[in-house]
Amino acid sequence: MAAIIAADHVSKWYGQVIGLNDVTLTVPPGITGLLGPNGAGKSTFMKLVTGQLKASKGAVTVLGEPIWGNPSLYFRIGFCPEQDAFYDRMTGLEWVTALVRLNGATEAEAAAMANRALDYVDLADAAGKKIGAYSKGMRQRVKMAQALAHDPELLILDEPLGGMDPIARRKTIRLIKEWGRSGKSVLVSSHILHEIESMTSNILLVNQGRILAEGNIHQIRDLIDEHPHTVYVKADQTRALARAFLSEDDVLSMKFEDGAVIVQTARPDTFYARLTALAASGELGAIHEVTSPDDNLQAVFEYLVKS
Amino acid sequence: MITSALRIFDLSLGQMLWSRRSVFLALLAGGPVGLALGIRVILLLTPAQLPMVNGARMSGTAIFGLIIWLLYLRFIIPVLGAFYGTSLIADEVEDKTITYLFTRPIPRGAVLVGKYLAYLLCTILLVLPSAVIVYFIVTPLGGGSIGEQFPSLLSDLGMLAVGLAAYGALFALVGATFKRPLVVGLVFTFGWEPGVLIFPGYLKHATIAFYLQALVPHAMPNEESVVGGILQLFNEIPPLETSLASLAGITLVALWLASRATQTREFVLDQ
Repeated sequence: MAAIIAADHVSKWYGQVIGLNDVTLTVPPGITGLLGPNGAGKSTFMKLVTGQLKASKGAVTVLGEPIWGNPSLYFRIGFCPEQDAFYDRMTGLEWVTALVRLNGATEAEAAAMANRALDYVDLADAAGKKIGAYSKGMRQRVKMAQALAHDPELLILDEPLGGMDPIARRKTIRLIKEWGRSGKSVLVSSHILHEIESMTSNILLVNQGRILAEGNIHQIRDLIDEHPHTVYVKADQTRALARAFLSEDDVLSMKFEDGAVIVQTARPDTFYARLTALAASGELGAIHEVTSPDDNLQAVFEYLVKS
Repeated sequence: MITSALRIFDLSLGQMLWSRRSVFLALLAGGPVGLALGIRVILLLTPAQLPMVNGARMSGTAIFGLIIWLLYLRFIIPVLGAFYGTSLIADEVEDKTITYLFTRPIPRGAVLVGKYLAYLLCTILLVLPSAVIVYFIVTPLGGGSIGEQFPSLLSDLGMLAVGLAAYGALFALVGATFKRPLVVGLVFTFGWEPGVLIFPGYLKHATIAFYLQALVPHAMPNEESVVGGILQLFNEIPPLETSLASLAGITLVALWLASRATQTREFVLDQ
């Protein structure tokens, strides 16, 4: 099976700092997760495979062609970057339409594609609202919409679930899996194993600028279960949520921050499933944002290196 | 390349027109209008008259010429070029929105050219009306005729547009090449150009102002006035054809180089 992305002895330096160190890998068709803690080299890898950066050494090919200086390849790629950056004065529809127009579509075609994409990410109702007025989760979804509006063969998503509420998170995971099932490919990065595992079992583990492992990694799954996992939940009724969490034995500790509760759990899968059910039922008020700090995965990597 | 540039132009024009930078631009372009209104009001409210130069009373046409020379040519046009030209790509990098443009099927050079075209239209739309308003306020002073001087106004407007094009292209190159482009742009505008123009020799050929002043239809203010005396320091003016050809050359070469630099440079966004 032809590789969707191939890196051949790729290194990237930023002056004296190494971003990626002699990486050789192939990404097969389907959904692949790129997993690593903050500063591991995920972003550098994502920027290299999206042609934003040029490799200092080695070669990167995407869909069989070199990506750097090859703009025509972007007809076949959709990219959702990590940064929360937009033209805030535009509405979601205007923004996605304007970006799709850059792919050569006419105004009418672009508007139709943008509407379809916004509908696909469940933003049809907010399409006419200014992006500046969107919640964090809506902003993530409108970024997804611009990436998939032109129906690319390969979708590259950099931390796509960050800041989403549980419902949007579940929908987005479903959307990514559907995209993979439709015969297209997805490369998705995250610092949360639980997120990646809910989309794919094909994982690239990156740390300190190197690929530690690739493939179907069950051992990592087992290891992470032994480590407490921190989840930040921003919600209307944090006290009520905390009371609900306390009755479960997987919750190890909790603390409150302004409008949020920070929970340490021993079983992230169970915790996220319960959180999603609570958000869907709405019985404890709205849950606005769920994030997990980078140091979760860092702890696992440290544990791995020690063992 | 042209189609892609036009698409970027389309996307950028609205962003540019409604940006915070445009408020600054409007203030800058509104300055001469305020000054012209001030002169007009003073002459209406007080018995003061236009100043005498060489034994003759100064006309409204001469005042308009002075405003063109001193405010538009020597200040507004280069400053606008520096502020806008250097920021064509830098603003998108700072806002981290450049990723959306650089991961679309368009050459990176076209992004710069499209944004340059948006800059040009945006500044022309604000500066030229400002000059026209100043013309209508100032020219009738001292009995000047608006109709008679109208052809020279058209030349002024052409000169301003050519100046915006040349400075914009040069500073777009600076923006695509240097890490602190605005500093480089301001040093060029307020250091290099006025500094080099007062010295005899060929260095002045390495400025835009040298060629631009050949396009001004008004005579340089007389050397017996203080301002005129200062301006006479720059009074070597090349032939019109040479100036036009040089300005066109500077614009096209700078734009091509800026486009090349954007094509090959890596833009690393802060995390």
